[in-house]
Amino acid sequence: MNRPQRNTAIVWRHEAGRERELLAAQQQGEDISEGGTVILVHQGTMHQLNLLGGEIWLRCDGERSLEQIINELAGEYEVDRGELEQDVRDFVADLEQRGWLIDG
Amino acid sequence: MADANMGLLSAPLTFNWTLSYRCNFSCSHCYSREEQAAELGTADIKRIVDILAAKKIPFINFGGGEPLIREDLFEIAAYAAEQGLNVSMNSNGWLVDADNASRLAAAGFKSVGISIDSAEASLHDEFRCMPGSFVRAVAALDHLRRAGIRTTMSAVISRINYRNFRDILDLAREHDVSQVYLHNFKCSGRGFKNREELDLDPGEWKAFYLEALEVKNSTDTPAISFDDPVIASLPGYDADPLVKGSSCGKLSLHLRPNGDITPCGFIPLVVGNILNQDFDEIWNGSDVLQKMRNKEARGKCAGCSSYGDCLGGCTARAFATTGDFSEPDPHCWK
Repeated sequence: MNRPQRNTAIVWRHEAGRERELLAAQQQGEDISEGGTVILVHQGTMHQLNLLGGEIWLRCDGERSLEQIINELAGEYEVDRGELEQDVRDFVADLEQRGWLIDG
Repeated sequence: MADANMGLLSAPLTFNWTLSYRCNFSCSHCYSREEQAAELGTADIKRIVDILAAKKIPFINFGGGEPLIREDLFEIAAYAAEQGLNVSMNSNGWLVDADNASRLAAAGFKSVGISIDSAEASLHDEFRCMPGSFVRAVAALDHLRRAGIRTTMSAVISRINYRNFRDILDLAREHDVSQVYLHNFKCSGRGFKNREELDLDPGEWKAFYLEALEVKNSTDTPAISFDDPVIASLPGYDADPLVKGSSCGKLSLHLRPNGDITPCGFIPLVVGNILNQDFDEIWNGSDVLQKMRNKEARGKCAGCSSYGDCLGGCTARAFATTGDFSEPDPHCWK
């Protein structure tokens, strides 16, 4: 997938306040991996994306390339670049398989 | 993918909106038939739509009362769809002819649900106190489908239909209905008055849900929804909900015809008015909503191994029968 784009059939909302709470909790050293920052509703079922998943989702606008998304996130997260890239690629592939992302 | 529970959302995901309590039917189980409230004019309703859009509330579902009683329904829905809201409604189907189905499609309705309580015409008509209503409800499904609108069916499970719910699903399949809601019986309004005649006992609810879950897990067409937190402990229930327990006050709210907000249509406690008060203050600050979101295990719920999943079951039913949100759901079999 070169330019991942959100499927317009997915209804979603960015929970900015929740994201701020999670970032604050992260700074306190808490495990926030289960906290959702983006809510998605697809075919009557609700899902949530965690902090990194939400960051990726917000960037999947069909304009940015997958490489650009990885570069942007690498600038924000102090983690190993290779590990981050793999996480992003796995996440995008998972959502593509679900039909939530398409190639823009 | 993150797991189920999370903190309070910035706003509900759905507003169930009663535009009018007026109805052309008089059903035995109706929660709202004896309710009364002044109705807002179109301009004020559009103001509410603006508020909902600003709060990024993605779904509104018109109920009632019969939504089509209001002649400005199409104008309201079209305005809401233009603001980016996903609009649906529940109707008894009586007024959904081919012309109105086309108008609903043009107004931007994403889906329309038709209430059908039995696959047996005479039983449905008797329950709805309206001869000919079954034929028109089924015709409505076909008119809507031809107009390109996704259809759903709603049946309130009660003593008249619980043994024959499979026939309701067959009827849905015959008419290409995408989703069937087998609603749990609520002890509100006429449902409260007639509960001894219509409601199942806890053992019957358990038997019904065990059977219905088995059917749900063996078919995708139509999709089957229950939306009843009391089933969270049953085998075969594998949903991964965003919130545990009742979703009202956490994922959804209800609007009355005058703009008053209640946690859901079955809990007659006004927590504020959307036109006269700041919505965030209502959502974040209402004592009633806080109590519903932070229930305490009472009675047999205390120490029950299922409490963490069901949170006491349906808050509306507990409140209707005991006056206390935290009391056990009277449908609970445990």
